[in-house]
Amino acid sequence: MKTLSLKNLRKTYFDPYAGSQVTAVHDVSLDVEQGEFVSVVGPSGCGKTTILNMIAGFIPYTGDEILIDGNLVKGPGPDRGVVFQSFALFPWKTVLENVGFGPKMRGVPKDERDRTAREYLALAGLSHAADRYPNELSGGMQQRVGVVRALANNPAVLLMDEPFASVDAQTRMTLQEELTRIWQERKPTVIFITHDVAEAVFLANRVVVLSKGRVLDQIKVDLPRPRVWDHLIEDETFKRLSAQVLQMVRAA
Amino acid sequence: MLVAPGQKVRSRVAWRGMNSLVGAALFVAPLLVLVAIWAIVVPLFNVNPRIFPSVGSVAEAAVAAIGDGSLIRHIGASMLRVGLGTFLGVLVAVPLGIAMGVSPAVSAFLTPLFRFFSVLAGIAWIPIATLWFGYGFGAIIFVIFNAVFFVVAYNTLLGVSTIPMTIRNAAASLGAGRWALLTEVLLPGALPNIVTGVRTGLGFAWRGLIAAEMIATNVGLGYMLFVARDFYRTEVIVLGMIVIGVLWLFIDRLLLVPLERATIERWGLVRRT
Repeated sequence: MKTLSLKNLRKTYFDPYAGSQVTAVHDVSLDVEQGEFVSVVGPSGCGKTTILNMIAGFIPYTGDEILIDGNLVKGPGPDRGVVFQSFALFPWKTVLENVGFGPKMRGVPKDERDRTAREYLALAGLSHAADRYPNELSGGMQQRVGVVRALANNPAVLLMDEPFASVDAQTRMTLQEELTRIWQERKPTVIFITHDVAEAVFLANRVVVLSKGRVLDQIKVDLPRPRVWDHLIEDETFKRLSAQVLQMVRAA
Repeated sequence: MLVAPGQKVRSRVAWRGMNSLVGAALFVAPLLVLVAIWAIVVPLFNVNPRIFPSVGSVAEAAVAAIGDGSLIRHIGASMLRVGLGTFLGVLVAVPLGIAMGVSPAVSAFLTPLFRFFSVLAGIAWIPIATLWFGYGFGAIIFVIFNAVFFVVAYNTLLGVSTIPMTIRNAAASLGAGRWALLTEVLLPGALPNIVTGVRTGLGFAWRGLIAAEMIATNVGLGYMLFVARDFYRTEVIVLGMIVIGVLWLFIDRLLLVPLERATIERWGLVRRT
């Protein structure tokens, strides 16, 4: 079943520096099945973040349509959970309150949403941090909160915008492994935006390569799960797929 | 060393208690030195009490003013005015500041106006306030309201416009509607600036209050100073000045600083200085 469907998406900006219209997204069509993990990879300026912002409803889209479970996207909504590069946690709320925010907006009573939030915090190994404030956590921990905050709202699709780009390399690898584990347990539908080719291949079932506002190619990733860096780093299939994607991105 | 989380918090609280005690001592010491110099200089140069009073005569004036209840009456009147005026000012300024901060165009248009009136706030309004409200309670409340309103509204507007767009987007994508965005994001997000605004505004209001009371009323600390002048009661003037300064320090230290500490410092929105 199709969870997300983009049809002939386009986006043109007025660039005040160039003094002219700039086309960020030319013509992008994409279907994502329920429970699929899709990485969208491309060089900076390829339009990947613009596409994500249009799906999220943060910027108005132009083109034919964006459908979530068959419904047209009109502005932001809880059917699309977003994980931001800058985490975007609420500094004035505890970790528990951050994760329980989505359920709170749906009118879930406090006891129940606290229980839900604790369950998701446990999933990310954050039970001990429930009563802390975001600024008391490391970057890696903050983004774990960011991921489970989006998941706790049970969205139809999880939109991740370079979520691990602002943490250190070691933490990033741990977060990537944790994300694949969580995905296996919960099977959310994920669109994962990144410029990191290895990350895109490591996480996804399918990698979409974007270039100059167009879909250049799509590659299926049939690597076994659970995915662990220690195994994959020397894996021939992983190396071949990464090289293939890298070539496309560089030629783009 | 391995420390249980609870233990760490407790020792941090204890440390903070010690620290605030030392801080208070360091704060009071220069003031005590000033009093000591005053106690030495006045008799040494045999200063005319009509020019400047001795420490002893101010202490006597304090005992007398406390004894006959006049000091409490003046303080009560001043505090009531500043409290009410500030309350009204914040009540109107915060919603307005948030409403304006939400729209970049409105905030850009109003920012210069707010900065202009922030500078004017307080004392400059006294003459026209007495024309509009007559001499008395209304004029003084108006002056304090003005002092607080523009500074708080401007700071609220600033606070709202500095909340990162991603945080507003995050709230929207988690299902927050307009009202939830206001109460869950904009208000707490602007709170550091609101508290700063109230601190600054109250400072202006306090000065404005004293000035307004000299002109527009017959009770209050400003009035107490002004009347004492007519009788060359320098000891009452100096007593009043000390009370005004000490009261302000108490308001700031016991009310505003703890408020800041309890909320926005915990959230990491301002650095402890």
